[in-house]
Amino acid sequence: MQDTLKLDGGGSVFLGLSSTSIRVGDKLEVTPHFRGVEKENFLCNYVWNLEGSWDKGDFDSTIEHVGHTIPRYTWEFVPKRPGRYRIAVDIEDSNRRFLGNIERWVIVAGKNSFMRPPVPPADAPTAVLAQDVSMIFNIASEQFNSLKEYFIAAAKHELTFKEFRALDHISFEVKHGEAFGLVGTNGSGKSTMLKIIAGVLEPSSGKVSVSGTIAPLIELGAGFDMELTAKENIYLNGALLGYRKDFIDEHFQDIVDFAELDGFMDMPLKNYSSGMVARIAFAIATVTEPDILIVDETLSVGDFLFQQKCEKRIKELVESDNVTVLLVSHDISLVERICDRVCWIEKGHMRMLGETDEVCEAYRSLERD
Amino acid sequence: MASDIEPAEKDATPSSKESPEPTAPAHATSARDAWYPAGKRDLFILRELVSKDFKLKYRRSVLGVIWSVLNPLLMMLVMSLVFSFFLRYDNIEHYPLYLIVANITWQVFADSTNAGMMSIIDAAPLLKKVRVRKSVFPVEKVLFSLVNFLFSLIAVFIVMLWEGVPPTPMMLLAPVCIVLLMLFCVGLSLLLSALAVFFRDLIHLWSVLLMAWMYATPLFWPVSMIEQVPYHFVRVLMYVNPMYNFVTFMRDTVIYSTLPPTEVIVSCVVWALVSLGLGLLVFRSRERRFILFI
Repeated sequence: MQDTLKLDGGGSVFLGLSSTSIRVGDKLEVTPHFRGVEKENFLCNYVWNLEGSWDKGDFDSTIEHVGHTIPRYTWEFVPKRPGRYRIAVDIEDSNRRFLGNIERWVIVAGKNSFMRPPVPPADAPTAVLAQDVSMIFNIASEQFNSLKEYFIAAAKHELTFKEFRALDHISFEVKHGEAFGLVGTNGSGKSTMLKIIAGVLEPSSGKVSVSGTIAPLIELGAGFDMELTAKENIYLNGALLGYRKDFIDEHFQDIVDFAELDGFMDMPLKNYSSGMVARIAFAIATVTEPDILIVDETLSVGDFLFQQKCEKRIKELVESDNVTVLLVSHDISLVERICDRVCWIEKGHMRMLGETDEVCEAYRSLERD
Repeated sequence: MASDIEPAEKDATPSSKESPEPTAPAHATSARDAWYPAGKRDLFILRELVSKDFKLKYRRSVLGVIWSVLNPLLMMLVMSLVFSFFLRYDNIEHYPLYLIVANITWQVFADSTNAGMMSIIDAAPLLKKVRVRKSVFPVEKVLFSLVNFLFSLIAVFIVMLWEGVPPTPMMLLAPVCIVLLMLFCVGLSLLLSALAVFFRDLIHLWSVLLMAWMYATPLFWPVSMIEQVPYHFVRVLMYVNPMYNFVTFMRDTVIYSTLPPTEVIVSCVVWALVSLGLGLLVFRSRERRFILFI
C-alpha cells in the first residue's frame, strides 16, 4: 500500500485525506496532490471500499472518462457504516494509460465509539520517555522441599535461577497529547511495560521518565477493604491514588453520582455486588483529569448501561487534547481507532514502532499467518 | 507516512469535545489538579490507613474503643494477682502501676514490630497495583499502635488514682520517651518488614524472640533482680537492652517522678537512632526488589 506515486518528469502525486479517522456521517475530502507536474495532464479514478466486503457491494467508484471537459481532482467520502475503508485513486496519463495507484486506510468509527485525538505537533513536550528498558525476572528453576536440600544445592553451587526477560531493550517516546498504543500477543510484556510506566515495577535496567500526573486504569480499587463502608473506601482508595483530601471532599458527590450508588454509601463493601464494587472503583479512578491516562483493554465494568457510561467517560478523556493516552490491547481495531502511534512488543522484544496504520498492518499479517 | 503534507489535514479533524468535566459544577479544585505533589501524599495515606485499622479493630464490638482502656487494666489485674500471690513481688512499691506502665510500653513495642514486620507482605496486593511509598506501611503500623498506646494511658491514670500517686511535672518528660520509643519501633519495623519479605522464617522466629525478650526485660519482676544474675556479660546485656531503658524511662518519669539516670536517657536516644538508621538503610536498599518477592 503506497500513498505516493512517482511520476515521469520528476513529479509525484500524494493522496491527501482531510483525516484518517472519522465518524459515520462525517465528510472526508479526498484530494490527490500533484507535485512538480501539471495535474491537468493526468486523470484520476477514485475508488473506496470497506475492508473485506467488496463482494457485499460496499464500494463505490467514479470513473472520470477521457474527454471529460472538467476532470475532477477532489471527492467527498461520506461513509454510512463504521469500519476500515480503503481509499484509492488510480492515476492515468492523458492517454488513459494506467500509471499506478495511491491508496490509504481510513478508520470510520460509529457515532458513539472512540476517535483518535488530534496528533500533537512534533515539538510537543515529552510525556513518557522509555529509554532502553529491560525487565528481568528470576524464576527458580528447581523447587526445594526442605532446607537440607536447599543448603546442599547451595553448597554445590547448583542454585540456578532461570532468567526470564519480560522486556528486552524497549525504547519509545510519547508526546504530550498523543494517543500511544502497545500491542502484542498474550504474555508479550505489554502489562509489564505499563506497570513500569505506572511506577509499580522498577525496570532491571534502563529508565522511564514520566512528566505529569498518571491515572492508571489498569488495576482498579487498590486497597479496597470489604469491611469498610463505600464512603470510607473512597477516601482510602483516593488517598492511595494520591488524591488530595479537599479534592475528594468536593468531588465526593460526583463519584457517587457517576457510580449511581446514592444511598449505599454507608454500607460495608462486602454487602455490595461485584458490579457495584467495580463501579465505585471506576468512578474514583476517572473522577480526575490526568495528564497521562493508562488504559488496559478491560475498559468498562458493570452492566451494559454502565459499560456505555464508562466508555463515554474514557472517550471524553481520550479525546481531550490535554490527555496523553497509553492504551494496551490485543484488540487491534480498538488500537486503530484510538491511537496515533503504536509500539508492537512481541515476546519482550520491540518488533515495530511507528504510525498506527503501518504497525497494525504488520500485526494483522501476523494474525493471518 | 510523510509528515510534510497538508496542514489542512489537522484542521479538518473533527473537533473533539471540550467538556472534560461534565458533571462538575464550579469546584475550587479542578479535576486536573486532583493530586498532592509526590512528596506530600504520604500523610493523607497514613491517616487513612490508621483510621482504617482503627475502624476494623473495633467494628462490631459492643464496647468498641473502650477495650483499648479496659484491656491493659484487665491484664494488669490478672498479672498483679498472679505475681503477688505466687511470686511474692508485692514488695515492689505501687506494684499495679509498676506493672501497667511496663506492660503498655512493652505492648506498643510488641504490637508495632509484629504488625510492622507483616506490613509489606500484607500490602502485597496494593503494592502490585499502585505506586505508593513503601515505607508508609511499617510506619503506619507503628502509628496505629501509638494510638492504642495513647488510649491505654487512660488506664494508667486510673491506676494512678487508685494507687494515690499524684501526677508531677516530671511526667511531662514521658512524651520524650514515647517519641524515642516510636523512632525505635519505626526503625525495627522497617528492618523486619524488609527482611520478612525475603526470609519468611523470620515471622516465626520473631514471636519466639519477642517472648524471650519479654522475660529478659523487668516488666513484672523487680529491676533489682538484674544484679543477682550470675554472669557479668548477661547483666551488661540486660542493662543495654533497649526495652529495659525505655521501661525505666517511663517508670521513673510517671511513677517515681525522678529524672531517669543519664545512661538510661542516652541509651534510649542511641537505640532510637541506631534502629532508625539501620532500618532505613536496609529498607531503602531492598525496597526496589520487594515487588518481585511478594
